[in-house]
Amino acid sequence: MAEVIRHDIVIVGGGAAGLRAAISAVEANPGASVALVSKVYPMRSHTVSAEGGAAAVARDDDSLESHGFDTVKGSDFLGDQDVIQYFVEEAPKELTRLEHWGCPWSRNDDGTVATRAFGGMTTKRTWYATDKVGFHMLHSLFQHSMRFENIVRYDEQFVTKLLVEGGAVRGVASLDIREGVVRAILGRAVILATGGAGKIFPFTTNGNIKTGDGMALAYREGVPLKDMEFVQYHPTGLPGTGILITEATRGEGGHVKNKDGERFLVTRDYGVGTKAELGPRDMISRAIVQEIEAGRGLEGPYGQYAHLDLTHLGEEAINKKLPMVRELAKIYADVDPVHEPIPIRPVVHYMMGGVDTDIDGATSLPGLYAAGEVACVSLNGANRLGSNSLTECLVFGARAGKVAVDYSKGASDGNEAACAAQADEEAARLEAARSGGAGGGEKIAGLRGELNDTMESGCGVYREQASMDATVTKVAQLKQRMSDVRIEDKSKVFNTQLIAALELDNMIEVAEALAVSAAHRNESRGAHTRRDATARDDQNYLYHTLCYRDATGARLDKKDVTLGTWVPEERKY
Amino acid sequence: MSRAAHPHAMQPHRPGSTRTAPPQMPPQFPSQGRYLSYSLFGATGILYLMAGFVALRAVRALGEGPEAWAALQAQFAHPLYVAFHALSLLAVLFVGVRFFRLFPKAQPAKIGPAKPPPRPVIHAMLYVVWIAVSGGLALVLAGGIF
Amino acid sequence: MTETKKFVVTRFDPDEDETPRQQSYEVPVQPDWKVLDGLNYIKDEIDGTLSHRWSCRMAVCGSCGMMVNGKPTLTCKDRLSNYGDTLEVAPLSNFPVVRDLVIEMDGFMEKFQSVKPWIITAKEKAVEEGTNRQSPEELEHFKQFSMCINCMLCYSACPVVGNEPEFIGPAAIALGHRYNMDSRDEGARERNEVFRGEGTVFSCSYANECSEVCPKNVDPAAAVNQAKINAVLDWATSFVVPRQGQGGK
Repeated sequence: MAEVIRHDIVIVGGGAAGLRAAISAVEANPGASVALVSKVYPMRSHTVSAEGGAAAVARDDDSLESHGFDTVKGSDFLGDQDVIQYFVEEAPKELTRLEHWGCPWSRNDDGTVATRAFGGMTTKRTWYATDKVGFHMLHSLFQHSMRFENIVRYDEQFVTKLLVEGGAVRGVASLDIREGVVRAILGRAVILATGGAGKIFPFTTNGNIKTGDGMALAYREGVPLKDMEFVQYHPTGLPGTGILITEATRGEGGHVKNKDGERFLVTRDYGVGTKAELGPRDMISRAIVQEIEAGRGLEGPYGQYAHLDLTHLGEEAINKKLPMVRELAKIYADVDPVHEPIPIRPVVHYMMGGVDTDIDGATSLPGLYAAGEVACVSLNGANRLGSNSLTECLVFGARAGKVAVDYSKGASDGNEAACAAQADEEAARLEAARSGGAGGGEKIAGLRGELNDTMESGCGVYREQASMDATVTKVAQLKQRMSDVRIEDKSKVFNTQLIAALELDNMIEVAEALAVSAAHRNESRGAHTRRDATARDDQNYLYHTLCYRDATGARLDKKDVTLGTWVPEERKY
Repeated sequence: MSRAAHPHAMQPHRPGSTRTAPPQMPPQFPSQGRYLSYSLFGATGILYLMAGFVALRAVRALGEGPEAWAALQAQFAHPLYVAFHALSLLAVLFVGVRFFRLFPKAQPAKIGPAKPPPRPVIHAMLYVVWIAVSGGLALVLAGGIF
Repeated sequence: MTETKKFVVTRFDPDEDETPRQQSYEVPVQPDWKVLDGLNYIKDEIDGTLSHRWSCRMAVCGSCGMMVNGKPTLTCKDRLSNYGDTLEVAPLSNFPVVRDLVIEMDGFMEKFQSVKPWIITAKEKAVEEGTNRQSPEELEHFKQFSMCINCMLCYSACPVVGNEPEFIGPAAIALGHRYNMDSRDEGARERNEVFRGEGTVFSCSYANECSEVCPKNVDPAAAVNQAKINAVLDWATSFVVPRQGQGGK
């Protein structure tokens, strides 16, 4: 019999959004008991790797309207304007709160918080902490959360299923990674804050844990995933490892060059106008790919790449503003950016799409909420501006935490015995996989490699119908082949191979929704760029894609974009 | 292969949910790599203990009069005593140099409004003071002053 | 022509093994690989039963600390070219071992939490009041100590941690000290009590190994020894002025 643990709300994921939601919940309701369930200890969450900064209006020469418009335009007019309005209003408050909680924002000489320029932003509004903003934000949030006794952490617990009963979510079934047992962790509301799914692609800034777990959990229970086709390629990742070289390098004046040393974002027309290196990410990524296709890329052991040149910034400026970039380049690319340009290429970084939520973070399943990269609220539409997503985690994590805990006051516990029975079924399923998997014919790494390859070829920076359709077919095949996956590790204790197989399951679900959504959108908008449909088509495609899972695979639907003050116009910079 | 650490090293107060293998000391401890310097640093305590007893003997001899003192001086000329004193001098130098390296970074960033000088300056000042005080004491013992 | 290196890896499955044992693997390696790449190759291609923690692979999440040839190192940062034909990979020393290269972390989490690593103020500041002013100089006071990624290599290297279970340890003390040094914090009195308590900072006997192995140049030895002075000053001033607690800030 699975052990049953009860709390008021359960949060899955311990990164910026999850921690912020937990803090928000206990501040809104000091008596509430909050379970924070994460497959890693919270300071390992992938928030930690964000480098550049978090955006919020801070200067007198800035305005909420400007931040709002930049975001709407950056989203290629697919972002919901009510969401964006709320976001820009709350952003300064959230970053201020974080400052009160100890976040070491970099400062101006007068002691006020410093801001830097960032892609697609009209003015400087990106708050930063040298070039380790995610690290500092995550640690500040995590350490602040430790003061609340009623945030109870369940570390290294892998949620394998949402427990749905009587038409609402009642909790989660969670595999204790250390013990190998499954428990039912019940709460009258569940908030997903599990991040994105970059690991379905071969070249990504994302760490090993970004496997789309929360998206898959919701998808399996019939909750739609929204705008999955929009995948952000960050223009400057290291070739091979995919390690992130922050946009702040460009914010501080770095230049992107081809093999001839030409600043092609300035000399050629790639749509970024005078913003040059500070154009939006989708445009810069496309530009780099086009330069490489035109034969002006540099050759390397991990494929072709371009150069990010910081040499003109000087050693002092680099050490002061970009010290981690210098370290990363030296350790992972054998290059000292003070003296040589850094090799870079576009790599998958962020998923604009995710679990469909409203502005409260509520999904179509009563009691289920989502916030952060896992959710699609939609703040970012078809393309995200850099430094908006860390603030997004705070703003919508805070809102979801409050709304969820309010909801939990009036909600019912549901049928606890039925939930425990579901957890027992999960336990049996996992037990069977663990003890019976040694004879499987498919290697986890092999299937994962094939998944990566097909996502890269079909759903890369430039797409076309034939290759997207091929990817849809391939992903369906991979899903079938997963039933024969080989799990050699029979141990109950800390079985990371079983976890890898479960993560691969989740990745395939997410890949399915992504590929199917991409294959249907017959226009180019934001990060979804097609060679065979190069224009944006507001007439036919100004809507959010919804992807539902059903018995035969995936089923698509549409959701209206909430327009507002800003009317869609041509997206030129 | 390393030796066992304390059986409860880094153990949470509530025992873990699965059986664990006991913690091991770092393999190079106590006598390899930089741990050798650390172990010697600690071991100099033995020399100081012994020097303490020697000092007590000297005090007793002083109290018993000039003949007792002269007899003690004669004993100190024995090669074993000379070796002991030479070793003690080396130990003091070793501890001094090792500790001086740590001292600058152990200073608080400020006490009230007062900030310390830059670390290399503190480091240099320690040697200046050490040599000055040692020189002063040597002069006193040699009868040069007082 | 790929080079091959031998990885001699500590294995331990509490359900199967009485004590940890070693297992060897021949791994074809690339010139720019880190130790972690070799371990991942073993897991993906040779022996799927190997368990180890890792995530970011860019030396910022702190998951992948292990002993390589007897020294604690961050395996995602440590180049394979630093080593010869054979590497011994073992779990971090001074920690109980859960499985293979995975160590028990909850002891660390307890010490970490015990230093109250959050901003303590008498009165909570309202959002409407805006951010605190903090000069770049004030930020520099504690910045270095805020860089800790909780990789626990310092705990592995510290001889006192292995001998005194109650010692709070380098990273936790450095973190407490970071908050004591933050101009926005008013909680130094409370933390200094913890520093003088059961896990006392005075257990530190100047090995300096923590700072030698720290991959982020946090210099915990500096923090611990500064904390000693502050803890004493705080104790002394508490007799003279009972309500002050700022110590040698």
